[in-house]
Amino acid sequence: MTGAPSAIVARDLSRRFGAFTAVDRVSFEVEQGEIFGYLGANGAGKSTTIRMLIGLLAPTGGAATVAGHDVATAPDAVKASIGYMSQKFSLYLDLPVMENLLFFGAAYGLSGQALRRRAEELLERVDLAGQGGVTTGDLPGGLRQRLALASSLLHRPRLVFLDEPTAGVDPVARRVFWRLIRELAAEGTTVFVTTHYLDEAEYCRRIGLMVDGKLVALDTPEGLKRTWVPDRVLVARGRGLTGAAGALRRAPGVKAVAPFGAALHVRVDAARLDAPAVAAVLAAAGAVAPEVEEAAPSLEDVFLAVVDRATPEVAP
Amino acid sequence: MTWPALRRSLIRVGAMAAKETIHVRRDPRTLALALAMPVVMLVLFGYGVSTDVDHLRLAVADQDDSQASRALVRAFQGSGEFLVVTHRAPEQAEALFRAGDAAAALVVPRGYASDLAQGRRTTVQLLVDGADAMIANQLLAKADAIVRAESRRLAGLEALRQELPLRLRLWTLYNPAGRSALYMVPGISAFLLAITAVMLTALAIAGEWERGSMEQLFASPVGRLEIVLGKLLPYLALGLLELQLVVAFGAVAFDLPMLGSLPLLFLVGLLFLVGMLGQGLLISVLAKNQLVATQAGTLSAMLPAIILSGMIFPIENMPLPLQLLSRLIPSRYLVHSLRGILLKGNGLAVLWPDLLALAAFAAVIVTLATARFKRRVA
Repeated sequence: MTGAPSAIVARDLSRRFGAFTAVDRVSFEVEQGEIFGYLGANGAGKSTTIRMLIGLLAPTGGAATVAGHDVATAPDAVKASIGYMSQKFSLYLDLPVMENLLFFGAAYGLSGQALRRRAEELLERVDLAGQGGVTTGDLPGGLRQRLALASSLLHRPRLVFLDEPTAGVDPVARRVFWRLIRELAAEGTTVFVTTHYLDEAEYCRRIGLMVDGKLVALDTPEGLKRTWVPDRVLVARGRGLTGAAGALRRAPGVKAVAPFGAALHVRVDAARLDAPAVAAVLAAAGAVAPEVEEAAPSLEDVFLAVVDRATPEVAP
Repeated sequence: MTWPALRRSLIRVGAMAAKETIHVRRDPRTLALALAMPVVMLVLFGYGVSTDVDHLRLAVADQDDSQASRALVRAFQGSGEFLVVTHRAPEQAEALFRAGDAAAALVVPRGYASDLAQGRRTTVQLLVDGADAMIANQLLAKADAIVRAESRRLAGLEALRQELPLRLRLWTLYNPAGRSALYMVPGISAFLLAITAVMLTALAIAGEWERGSMEQLFASPVGRLEIVLGKLLPYLALGLLELQLVVAFGAVAFDLPMLGSLPLLFLVGLLFLVGMLGQGLLISVLAKNQLVATQAGTLSAMLPAIILSGMIFPIENMPLPLQLLSRLIPSRYLVHSLRGILLKGNGLAVLWPDLLALAAFAAVIVTLATARFKRRVA
């Protein structure tokens, strides 16, 4: 044995709806205790993949094993051993906080004092201690999201699926939420999370990128950046940049120029141009005292590069 | 099924039912719909939609104005059925009808008293507004009875000696006063139970789809049947409570008798409710949103319960296709057996076909709904 078996194994997992292929031969493994990010545009097949992995939707091709159970033949065993927080916020808003937890606990077969103690413990953990009697609908969005997380953890699953858990939540609440996710992973719980906030994806140990039903990239955030954004990315600041951008675009070795707030993002061929050279081009084109420095490529750059390359030349 | 598995299953059903109960307790609209509506409807139908006709406005044209003619007018007045509104000439009666001021006019001819005194037969006229056939019919029957009684009084002992060879002796059983409330209350209970049961379940389950919590439930180990059972149990209890309320209110407000067995009443109510809850479930599974579920629920529960159940319109008078259609309507069996239990004291020996029909409907519709429920999720 070489350590724990994988928490999720997907082999050529596919799902067709009539003539439309929502998920096309997706293969990956998720190790126990890792935070695995699943990224893609809306309609790329993220939710369909999750629905197959949690036993809600039968695959039409391929196979997947989740927490040691086959999703096609033992969906009930899968359901009992995982936690799931769905995309649509689905706690009962008219119920008090504690009643929501007790209900979902009972749904997983917990009962009595053990369930109540576990619910209290989780409330404390998500900073909702003492709020058990509050009507859920009266909680602000960020707190509801944490309550939904707590309700998916009642039965101590070793693996949780979070489908866009931070959609529509403010940045501070998102940060708190991700702290909770990292704590969970640190205790050995596997977290499979979809998001379209690319800054959040940086927290994941590995990221899978879906485009049109296909898994087109799978690596650590650093690995993705190295592979997909080999060019140097520079950030230029200063006055008169807008006027100078046109000249910069025509300069040899410049691959792309894009406004980024008040600054310019400039992608250049690393072999031909560096920061001082770009600053010189800008100054010559009329920019006042331009400052240019090297920037680390973001996952956004990766995402755009991946979508760019995958879309026109999808293999049949 | 092993005991621990069964125990977990019972926990899940219990949790669903407990959750649903909290939903109901925290939603004043649902409670009002379930408990206040029956009372309001009973009052409306019991008092307002009464088919009894009394205090009919009667115009009197007493052209004789004698002691004898005034005695006849008093007989009409004293019966409580007629309200003498005015004394006019017969020519004015039509004007009164048109204005809606009188439903009938009584014309006593000149010479009424003297004809009677000389032992001659005499005639009084009754002009009736036939626009409302139901009122006119009742009015005729009542006027006939009053005139006959008056004529017997006038004939005195002589008439008793000349007994007619054939006499019809009427004896109305079960609802001797012919009060429509007694007849209506069982019908209204069917209507109320149907509408609350179908609406509440349809709303409750469509609500889970709309909120997205249904997917969360499907992602948990809760089974379809457990969801259905947990959802239906609280509304079943609420429906039985409502039945109790309707019968109790009927007893207090309308002297509704309870001649039959209470357990049988609840058994009939239970079978009917299961069918209605199944219908609500089926609607919500098909509709998946609360707006459509409300409309489909109201239509499918209310219309048959009012029109085809025999609650207001006698089934015997319907054209054959409608009579056959009414056999598929559970309300029909409920109305029939409630009337039997409450007014006649019927037992199982008489009512078993109703129970069988209710049970069959419940079994078919719950099976259908659960099957559809499964197919919705791949």
